[in-house]
Order: sequence, then C-alpha cells, then structure tokens
Amino acid sequence: MRVRMTIFAAACALMVTGPLTAHHSFAMYDRDHQITLTGTVTKFEWTNPHAYIEFDVADPNGVVKHYSIECASPNVLTRVGWKFNDLKTGDKATLLVNPLKNGKAGGMLEKATLPDGRVLGDGNPPSGKFDRQ
Amino acid sequence: MTRANIILLALASAVWLTAQPRTAPDIGGVWSGTWNVNAKTAADPKLIPPAPGPLLLKAPYSQQYAARQAAEKAADERGEPLGNTSTMCLPDGMPQMMFAIYPLEILQTPGRVTIIEEAFGQVRRIYLNEPQVKVGDVAPGYFGHSVGHWEGDTLVVDTVGVKESVLGYRGMPHSDQMRITERIRLAGPDILWDQITVEDPVALEKPWTYTFGYRRNPGYRMQEYVCENNRDYVDEHGATQLKLSEH
Repeated sequence: MRVRMTIFAAACALMVTGPLTAHHSFAMYDRDHQITLTGTVTKFEWTNPHAYIEFDVADPNGVVKHYSIECASPNVLTRVGWKFNDLKTGDKATLLVNPLKNGKAGGMLEKATLPDGRVLGDGNPPSGKFDRQ
Repeated sequence: MTRANIILLALASAVWLTAQPRTAPDIGGVWSGTWNVNAKTAADPKLIPPAPGPLLLKAPYSQQYAARQAAEKAADERGEPLGNTSTMCLPDGMPQMMFAIYPLEILQTPGRVTIIEEAFGQVRRIYLNEPQVKVGDVAPGYFGHSVGHWEGDTLVVDTVGVKESVLGYRGMPHSDQMRITERIRLAGPDILWDQITVEDPVALEKPWTYTFGYRRNPGYRMQEYVCENNRDYVDEHGATQLKLSEH
C-alpha cells in the first residue's frame, strides 16, 4: 500500500505541469475534493476568460438545484479535444467538479461525460497545483 | 567570354555575395512555451533553458514584494485568492507575455518582427534597425517601445516604456526606468530561447537575467481570445469571488 501511495504521489507530482490558465488563482475551489453532478445543461458558454456550464441537478424528490461550473478557457479546451458545440442546452451530462470552498452551488470542472459517451477533461492536472502567472 | 573575363566575373560575384547582409534566421511561426516540459523526461535538454539568476530588489520594492507574496500565499490558503490584474482580464504585458502561457506566433516582415500571444490577443511590434527612444520619452504602455537588430543569428531587442503597474516575471515590480534587453535565437532547429535581462537602476540592485524556452508547434492555428465573460470579481475584502448564475 505504501508503495502504491508513493507511486500515486509521484504520478501526481508529474502531473503538476504548471499553470494552464492565463487567468487567476483557483484557490477558491477545493482541489482536494470532487463531487459528481448528473443533470441537464441549461447553457454552455464558450467564452473567455473561461467557459461555463450552467447545469440543473435534480435530487431524488425532483427538487432542482442550479450549479455554475467554471471550465478552462476555450483555447485550452480546444487543445484537449473540446469543440464549441460539444454541449448544448438540454443535453444530459455528468460532470466531475471541484466544489467552491464557500459552499455555494458552483465548482470547477475536472472532466465531463458528454451525451455521446465521450469523456473530456478540463486540460488541468487533477488535484494539481495552480500557479498564478 | 575570355578566361580573364570569367575570372573577373567570378571575383565580382564573390565580392558582391560577401557584401550582402546575412539572411536572418527563420524564427517565424507558432511556438509553445516549454515551462510545462518535465526536465527529467525532456526529449532535448535544450527545451529547458538555464535557470534564472536571483532577483535582487532595492528598498522599498523588496519589502513590498515580500509582503505581497506573503499576502497572496495566505489568501490562497484561506480559499480567497487576492484580486489581481488578471482577475480584471488585463493582459500580461512585457516581459511576462514572453513567458507564453499560451502559444506565441512570430511574424517576420521587412523592417519588423511581430509577436502575438494567444492569451488576451497580446501583440508586440519590434521595429528593426532604428534608434530607440529615450526612457521617459514614450507614453508608458503594456508592451513598451521595442527596437531590434540582428547580431549574427541572434535578434537583440531593446524595450523601454512599460507601465509601472505592469508586473514582470514572478510578479517583479519596476520603476519607469526599466529597460528590457532580449537575445532571441534558435537553440536548435525547432527550439527557441529568449534570454531576457531586466535593468532598473531604481528598483533593482543588479540586472536580472532569465531565459524562456519555446518549441515549434507547426500545425497549430492561433485562436482568438476576447475576455467577454469575466465572472470573477473582487469583493469588499479584496478576495476573488465567482459570480454565480441563477439559471
């Protein structure tokens, strides 16, 4: 187990490749925790400085909670395989996100499972360190 | 044509060829910064340029710099990062744009070298073979006023007139006396280095030199970057917050 943890730590260290954002510190997000949201896209904003997925998530009782999910810039997303129309209003998707530390209904994308089953990352290292540059 | 004429013609051609300026190296095209290349696994050691020298600031810049670094660290640990120019969607400016967080495109045209950085659509124009303006004689801006010339295989660029609010590499502060000298050259067929020396008699104890590396990215097409949807704002405590949408 110890060896596995060491390998895992080494792999994480290798993934820390430096700043992939041209914008700001991501310290407002809890990079140590992830939540999985399954729901419906209400809007996909392919804009700079960041893309946003507006997302409705229904609980088992049908009560809908709305989340704003920040993604990388369209420039970075394009480099990791995204297209501007990969998500559309009404699409069902599953998003793995780092929640806001302040507890509000927002987060930063780690990866998205699209309606066609493709899984696309955010271009940022998982649980990586973000240096402001 | 007599043999003597042929010899004369050959000699004249040789003299003419020697007198021609050497063609500048082709540094045009798209380049990606090598800041994310792992030194241990780099395909070519030249992708990793020499490590920077020490940054030695004079007072009061040194105290202000240390205080800002400490405040940023503490705010990040609280999960409330401090607002900064990038929170406001302002470009890097010089010399930080040469860090190339997003790709650079270099255009070589007669009398000019133009460098475009994809993030924020930053553009700097380097005017070749013309005298530099005096420090203080140009309106301060994000990219300053740049002149350059070729010294053999190296493009030497001199830049003055960068706004004091535009922080440099690693957040280096500076005065209106700052001068940036760049030595841009191919370190390999598809590797470019920009050795940057920052001089500032007011802010720096001694000039600071560091080098950024780039690798050619021939298939890449530059994308636009317009900061139209900035949801970050700085609250009354100076912390960066995300504006959430209701729907």
